[in-house]
Amino acid sequence: MLVDFELIKRAQKGDSAAFNEIVLAYRKRILGKITRLIARPEDVEDVAQEVFLRLYFSLDQLRTPEVFEPWLYRLTVNAAYDHLRKQRRRQEFRISDLSEQQVMMADAAAGGKVERDEQQQKKVREFVDSLLSEVSESDRILLMMKEVEGLSLKELEKVYDVNENALKVRLFRARQRVLKAFGSKEQ
Amino acid sequence: MVPKGGNNDERLDALFRAYREACPDPDATANFMPVLWQRIEARQTYAFSFRRMAGAFVTAALALSVALGVYMAVPRTQPNSPQAYIEALSEEQPLDAPDIVGPVSLDLSDAASH
Repeated sequence: MLVDFELIKRAQKGDSAAFNEIVLAYRKRILGKITRLIARPEDVEDVAQEVFLRLYFSLDQLRTPEVFEPWLYRLTVNAAYDHLRKQRRRQEFRISDLSEQQVMMADAAAGGKVERDEQQQKKVREFVDSLLSEVSESDRILLMMKEVEGLSLKELEKVYDVNENALKVRLFRARQRVLKAFGSKEQ
Repeated sequence: MVPKGGNNDERLDALFRAYREACPDPDATANFMPVLWQRIEARQTYAFSFRRMAGAFVTAALALSVALGVYMAVPRTQPNSPQAYIEALSEEQPLDAPDIVGPVSLDLSDAASH
């Protein structure tokens, strides 16, 4: 835990300064998780703000401060999931919004300033992103939380509020689909 | 880019690790907290006005119910209202009028003399 229970209790009673402290303590971690979950850097802050907004208005429903972190991760997962669903609806319009010339200029600008390491990292991000497009948004997030964020099954149980066996089955199926896509992209 | 060596499972794990490194935790911009509080306040204002509207609606519904209850409870006297159907019928057809379904009288005197 990055904050103590007393701080959470104070925030639950409406103490804005306490809530501010909680946000400051968890902000970087939540931004990182969202970055990896949604793979769209320009939207990360917006989604993170949505997470803390939901936290602010649901903090009084938190019965025991001990489960604060799984609670916060659940809010993060839900906000990322909502964003991915919205993004899927918007996706068709994104490319068509830009003219051919604009796309060429953007590519040239990116090629000029992005360093080699960053390009390599960008390729990794794009490749993983394309692999994860083979599974649903919810499975993508579950897989990310397990494989990339490193949450244990016990922790995921608390976040998702489902039993371990159900999680194992979902994870196995999602991983199999990604593995299949991985194999076919390799060929 | 894709890690070499090992089976697909191991290579996928390595790819996920590379993805983790390729996406470090970013720092928030200076606007993060002000925008967050603006959004919180906007939501609070919306929730407050919604609550106020809902409160006003409940009060109006309650007042209407009370008014309707009072209206239904007060006995209504209608001096010029028509009487019961039978009374109205008897007024239209007084008793001295010939009765359509009056008793039938049989004259049996002729039959007896034959």
